[in-house]
Amino acid sequence: MQDKKEFVRVIQENETLIYKVSKVYTNTREDEQDLYQEIVYQLWKSFGSFRNESKLSTWMYRIALNTAISNLNKEKKKGRFLPINEWVLNRTDPDDLLREERFELLYAHIRELSTVEKAIILLYLEGKSYEEMAVITGFTTTNIGTRLGRIKQKLITQVKK
Amino acid sequence: MEFEEMKSLWGELSDKLEQQKKITDSLIAKMTKSDYKNKIKKIFISELIGALICFAAALYILFSFQTLDRWYLIVCGIISVSILCLLPILSFHAIYKIRSINILNNNYKQSLLEYSKGKQQFIFVQKLSFYLGAALLLTILPVMGQLIAGKDLFIESRLWLWYAIGYPFFYGLSKWVFRKYAKATEEAEDILKELENG
Repeated sequence: MQDKKEFVRVIQENETLIYKVSKVYTNTREDEQDLYQEIVYQLWKSFGSFRNESKLSTWMYRIALNTAISNLNKEKKKGRFLPINEWVLNRTDPDDLLREERFELLYAHIRELSTVEKAIILLYLEGKSYEEMAVITGFTTTNIGTRLGRIKQKLITQVKK
Repeated sequence: MEFEEMKSLWGELSDKLEQQKKITDSLIAKMTKSDYKNKIKKIFISELIGALICFAAALYILFSFQTLDRWYLIVCGIISVSILCLLPILSFHAIYKIRSINILNNNYKQSLLEYSKGKQQFIFVQKLSFYLGAALLLTILPVMGQLIAGKDLFIESRLWLWYAIGYPFFYGLSKWVFRKYAKATEEAEDILKELENG
């Protein structure tokens, strides 16, 4: 019971992390919700074994990104998920459409990157250090630097198109 | 959109999301419960039904095997039973491999490696199953003809003619079916290459 309360608190404090991963790895609202829910479920499953050996956000990113990979292949079926009107991700603010459009454009650019690159850019934009990114992704810090350079070039080309 | 602009926009986005936080306790509690388990069940149920049909057909042939009284019917019977047993095993193994990513302990690179290799194996098994399914269709027809109707279709019908007509059709069908796997194979290969190239 205590565990569940603690878990709910952790999710509430970090819900934007889950939201961003879900958004970057999916193309439709339905898939986004599917992935969001699955990440929460996977976090809950492994919550008992989280022993504060790593930072909470590192652990959460690992689980979230791994879940996003395992979800790449799943066949989408309707009707298995929580009702849409109860959903958390309906965040569109009608007064701020222009900004929303820019956010969507940003997500669209990230989605065009490869699966490997998506995680690196996501962690970079989230302000993670190279060391932390290395722990989460399994790449060396040098490798992350090289990859970020390539991603930068790729994004510039994308934007110019 | 420049890289730095992207970073500042991301910061703006994060702030906005922080302000809009609204996931409720009850919603989180629901997400931790049975929905996911149900989903897994649904994924496996079609595979399970297929496996049961295959094993039931294999058992039926085995229990009536003495009825197959000609050498070619016996050969067809053995091939049919072998394929009927092999198909579900292959299918379950491939599904298990692709879903066995260690979400808890892997890092991202390990998960991507497991996923891509599992995907390649899955596609290979899908293709193999398609050929095995086609072979099964060829062998099970005369076997069932004999077991159910007591007729040797090789003698009493123009089965060979049907096979000859069916082959080009099957060839075309396989080309069409495999085209959809080409992209998936390519994607898995691209991920592996990207991981190897560093």
